[in-house]
Amino acid sequence: MCDACGCDLTHTHTHDHDHDHDHDHKHTHNSQVIEVHQNLLAANDAIASGNKAHFEAKGIVAINLISSPGSGKTTLLEKTIERLKGTIRIGVIEGDIETDRDAQRIRAKGVPVIQLTTGGACHLDAAQIHKGFHLLEHEPGGDKLDILFIENVGNLVCPATFDLGEHQRVVLVSVPEGPDKPSKYPKAFISSQVFVISKTDLLPYFDFPVAEAKADALHLNPRLQVMDLSSTTGEGFDAWIEYLTSLHSKNQSTGA
Amino acid sequence: MHEMSLVQGLIEQLVALAAEHDKQRILTVTVDIGPLSGVAIDSFQFAFDILSKENNLTNEASLTIINSPATFRCVQCGHEESAAVRPDQCSKCQESLLIPEGGDAITLNQVELE
Repeated sequence: MCDACGCDLTHTHTHDHDHDHDHDHKHTHNSQVIEVHQNLLAANDAIASGNKAHFEAKGIVAINLISSPGSGKTTLLEKTIERLKGTIRIGVIEGDIETDRDAQRIRAKGVPVIQLTTGGACHLDAAQIHKGFHLLEHEPGGDKLDILFIENVGNLVCPATFDLGEHQRVVLVSVPEGPDKPSKYPKAFISSQVFVISKTDLLPYFDFPVAEAKADALHLNPRLQVMDLSSTTGEGFDAWIEYLTSLHSKNQSTGA
Repeated sequence: MHEMSLVQGLIEQLVALAAEHDKQRILTVTVDIGPLSGVAIDSFQFAFDILSKENNLTNEASLTIINSPATFRCVQCGHEESAAVRPDQCSKCQESLLIPEGGDAITLNQVELE
């Protein structure tokens, strides 16, 4: 049992074996076949559900940001914090393999932040977020938040498999990466609610047909909300801010 | 690369099952990897071959991987079809937008122990 949030993490390896039965078997020794039918991610998902309940108990909407390294996740957060200062209280959990450079950038913007370093692991998992969120709560201002951003390890593959307990998953692709990312890395797009095309100020210098990238992503996941923006020039940023503001107000009205 | 951590979790689960049933060896393991799970089957098998050797309970275990299909639902006519690979379009109305349902799980189905 977790002292701070009361989430029950002591039985994440429960097994339900109601229908064990012995089969006739070609082996001469005494073997037994057990039907398990349990998701390999069950342990992670149980912790993720605990995280989600914890966020909701505190009135927080959690957003998991996924992209390749260098797509502009941290810059998007910096600009978002500037734009929402004084209206929406933001906290950030940063995930990287090494260094706390991203956390330093976010801290400089004056919001509570915790850096998780995975020491080589290619994704964040629910247990790391559980720990990270408790640490964040002890940061100045970290106990009263409206939106929690989780900036995942820069990787368009592995983070897509691990539920962290987030309410929304946002996948970014920047213009220099090329428009074929949705087709090449489908899981991240299938499991997300929002697809952001970032660094649109570079469109004149790269061959990036925006309509094609959007169509490819929607082909994979027709429910995706797609937006394109530049954190540098602010172009298209209003739609992003509107999305966050509306998430926040919906959460306030349902949470009240 | 996350296949390594998934297999680590699998081995822990197998060790727990063996302890629970008082068994000394895992003989066969069957895992269902959905086509939309984001898991590379070859990498999963590779990770299992390496990590299973490091444990006395699992070092002789053989892994069988099955690949159950996902369901794709047409946004226009609602027709559902089951497929391991996303169809280009709906077979009834030719709409190209299909919503995937399921097929994203990685499930430990069956274990044989002695």
